[in-house]
Amino acid sequence: MPRANPLLEKMGPRNRFIAIVAVVAIATGAWLSFQVMSPPAVPQTATVLPAPGPLPEFSLLDHEGNAIGRDVFSGQWSLVFFGFTHCPDICPLTLQVLADAKKQLAAAGSEPLPQIVLVSVDPERDTPELLGQYVRYFGDDNLGITGELVEIRKLTGGLGIFFEKSAVDGDNYSVDHSAVVLVINPRGQFHALFSAPHEAANFVHDLPLLMRRR
Amino acid sequence: MRLTRLTAVAILAMFIFACSIERVPLVATDVSIKQPMPGMQMTAGYLTLSNNTTQAIKITQVSSPQFDSVEMHESVVEDGMARMYPLGDLTILAGRTVQFEPGGKHLMLMRPVGEFETVTLEFHADKAIVLTLNVALSD
Repeated sequence: MPRANPLLEKMGPRNRFIAIVAVVAIATGAWLSFQVMSPPAVPQTATVLPAPGPLPEFSLLDHEGNAIGRDVFSGQWSLVFFGFTHCPDICPLTLQVLADAKKQLAAAGSEPLPQIVLVSVDPERDTPELLGQYVRYFGDDNLGITGELVEIRKLTGGLGIFFEKSAVDGDNYSVDHSAVVLVINPRGQFHALFSAPHEAANFVHDLPLLMRRR
Repeated sequence: MRLTRLTAVAILAMFIFACSIERVPLVATDVSIKQPMPGMQMTAGYLTLSNNTTQAIKITQVSSPQFDSVEMHESVVEDGMARMYPLGDLTILAGRTVQFEPGGKHLMLMRPVGEFETVTLEFHADKAIVLTLNVALSD
């Protein structure tokens, strides 16, 4: 038979009751203060805009050749990257990171899942058809956007995205471009951004928090 | 006597081993070339190159019978901008290793010629080919 606590044995029933109530009260207080004092989970990598703003107006094409405007972003969260299909390293690397993040979010049961969008900064070579093959390689639900250079500049200019052609050799050229990934919320507003270098874990951690804080 | 003979064999083995190392001045590991994406006329190659000699090796060109053109490039992110630079010649100092990896140095293989599953890469130092690799395309 285990022996009762000698201290409790010496107490009368009334004092024992008071001691137990005191212990329970202290434990509850400690738990409550921990809940209140510990900071809420916040995005670690994303920069959240204090006042999300609307996207500029534009008239472009999706990867199926349909005319689209800024309302293409309404109704779902979007992760938007600016790149081009003739980019063999950074662009596929980034799109793969975004695809991996989306896969991990889906596996964790996170909802809603963001759509991945590639806006071409090389419309001269990126036809809707080519862009479609490229974005679908990283996921069937992905969206590619291309069209007239002047219309692309309306979109990028309003979002602080820069790009410019750079010669590599002969007819071959590359396009230098901003490396950020933008987060557009379901109201079609520029909500947050992730700076390079990109890692899937950053999106997996921050996106559910961003979506909850809307 | 027996010990002396064993020692002689050991020295000879070490000599042969040393010679075999000398014959492979440039060693490639972790080599991968991705299958070009659908509709694309280019892909990237990654590898680690180690210079096992006591002298610098200058890679002046990379070629492949399966691609019209192979170039050494480097991706960098500077001030938030993703840029790509041609490397030109690549000097690997004696005993040093250079990594070609996603988001950094890479081989840019352009305009595939015909259908193939294995790519031959030839690394040139001036007019001599100093390393030939056969690499199966990866998904």
